[in-house]
Amino acid sequence: MKTAANILGDALFATGYEVQDAPRYGAERRGAPMFAYVRAADRTIVERGAIVTPDLVVVADAGLLGIPAAGVMQGASEATWLFVNSTEPAQAIRAQWRYPGQVVSWPAGFTPPAMHNAAATSASCAGAAARMLGVIARETFESALIAQSTGRSAGAIETTRSQGLAAFDAMGGVDRCVPEGGEHPATPPASPDWIELGADDAALAAPDIYAQATSEQARTGLWRSHRPVIDYEHCNRCSWVCSTLCPDSAIRVDEDRTPRIHYDHCKGCMVCVLVCPAHAIRQVSEQAAQAQEIEP
Amino acid sequence: MSEQPYKSLKDLPRSHALSPGTAMCAGCGGLEALHEALDVLGRKTVVVNAAGCMTLLANYPYTPFHGSWLYTSMASAPAGAQGVRDALDILRDRGRLADTDDLTAVVLTGDGSAYGMGLSATSAAIERGLDFIYLCYDNEGYGNTGQQSSAATPHAAKTSTSAGTQGYAGEKKDLFAVWAAHKPSYVATVIGADPLDLARKVQRAAALKGPRLILALAPCPTGWDFDPGDTVEIGRLAVKTGIWPLKEYADGRIVHTRVPNPRVPVEEYLTRQGRFRHLFEPERNDALIAAIQARVDRYWDDVG
Ligand SMILES: Cc1ncc(C[n+]2csc(CCOP(=O)(O)OP(=O)(O)O)c2C)c(N)n1
Ligand code: SF4
Ligand code: SF4
Ligand code: SF4
Ligand SMILES: [Mg+2]
Repeated sequence: MKTAANILGDALFATGYEVQDAPRYGAERRGAPMFAYVRAADRTIVERGAIVTPDLVVVADAGLLGIPAAGVMQGASEATWLFVNSTEPAQAIRAQWRYPGQVVSWPAGFTPPAMHNAAATSASCAGAAARMLGVIARETFESALIAQSTGRSAGAIETTRSQGLAAFDAMGGVDRCVPEGGEHPATPPASPDWIELGADDAALAAPDIYAQATSEQARTGLWRSHRPVIDYEHCNRCSWVCSTLCPDSAIRVDEDRTPRIHYDHCKGCMVCVLVCPAHAIRQVSEQAAQAQEIEP
Repeated sequence: MSEQPYKSLKDLPRSHALSPGTAMCAGCGGLEALHEALDVLGRKTVVVNAAGCMTLLANYPYTPFHGSWLYTSMASAPAGAQGVRDALDILRDRGRLADTDDLTAVVLTGDGSAYGMGLSATSAAIERGLDFIYLCYDNEGYGNTGQQSSAATPHAAKTSTSAGTQGYAGEKKDLFAVWAAHKPSYVATVIGADPLDLARKVQRAAALKGPRLILALAPCPTGWDFDPGDTVEIGRLAVKTGIWPLKEYADGRIVHTRVPNPRVPVEEYLTRQGRFRHLFEPERNDALIAAIQARVDRYWDDVG
């Protein structure tokens, strides 16, 4: 998404806008959900930092919609358009997640003949956003796509270019649907509704620093866009190759040598899928897996 | 820790001493090596960690460790380990810590510390004969700050401080040789992708006293630019191409624990990583690829 924001920002800048584009990460390293913000205006932008009331939200990983902690819908109102990278119909997404505004969905980065990869998804998401804003000329956007892949092979440049333009063209029906947002005066944000808590004794208020292995409570499973699923018919209870090589110790081995993936922690790196000697672990889209869990 | 030598993968630990839920990248080769090493070392460790990616492991209020963890500046992890070792020894001398409850001081740092900023403190600690295990995860750059080049960056690799068609102009420092030159108790190179070789070496190190280095090449999806799932495959290729020789030093002798034969061309390793993409795109740089191959061939010719 950092790349998508970069392409969109460049294209807006080339069109003549003042632009800010910035990614926002948590303390985690790569793989955790992340945001990238783009602001554009035809005058000096006085706002800084995170966008609190977006006009358009682009979601590259639809699996995040169902995770409140991911906060993708934060600040969205009836006026906020939502683009979701998904094959699900927009109305179904809107109904399922009770989204207040208008929804557009489209499978980003899948236009044949290109292979689906991160660069294609980024270009595609940028293309959809550019057209929905409707202020960027097709040629300007194309130049931004090409500039993004400077130094890459002809094939890689073509993937970015064609996937970006395919999305741009596919969004013809919602050209310029996102209206220009209102003024955002540079006033300090209102102070939050604090709840005053009395001072507790440190032994109560602070987590026990002597406690062991507390990272168990951190649910890195939220990071996944795909999940590994063990097919127990084919798993030959080998010498737990998957469990040894999983970087995150997210596969436990039972007494009877059966490996169990802990989905609360599995980050979806797919190492286990690629190393299992019996080819007994499949890669499944997280969204599909979650949908199945709800209605098996 | 098991007393029996590890003969096959089936002997490797089945339970994990490092708990999940850390902030490391998905597919982190350093984390893979660390958990494999700790699975063998067990829980009676104090980890002394210099600034780097791994300092995000114990991200307050969470920790994946069962034992204590100490955070030091990049240059001073071995000095921190000295303090820990001294404190433990004092407790033992005063009878406040039973010998069976003694802990191992484990220094954990990246290559930025191990090959560069912390080398002086390391050299002094080895000289003093400090009883500790140094575990370095070598992702060949300053990963935590955006993969700037370090003294461990291989020739021609792209980093955020060595872009352009030639990549990094310098040579990767031979830390194994630097350590061995100090004549410490034990030095070994390992990789998470070969867990059996790693476990044997960690087990051997654990049975010794004095300064011991476990140096793990750590395929890094973020800094090396590859898909997280390829971490193990890239690690295996580092060994099969001969780029990362697996070896150990003990009692004044160096032994190669795996000898790739025949060696896979280095190109197989290079093409899978974005940091070497400029060697193949937009045009192939045959001269530079051949130079990298020649360095590897020369190493193995010299080994004999
Ligand atoms: C003296 C000093 N200089 C710079 C930094 C900033 N810094 C924090 S982590 C880091 C990178 C460390 O690289 P390495 O040891 O290889 O570990 P990695 O991040 O790759 O895990 C740097 C430069 C620091 N903490 N201290
Ligand atoms: S690596 Fe494959 S065969 Fe072996 S335990 Fe894991 S799932 Fe089963
Ligand atoms: S995908 Fe597999 S290897 Fe990766 S974190 Fe999940 S269980 Fe571990
Ligand atoms: S940047 Fe590399 S070494 Fe650091 S956490 Fe990510 S994968 Fe691991
Ligand atoms: Mg490093």
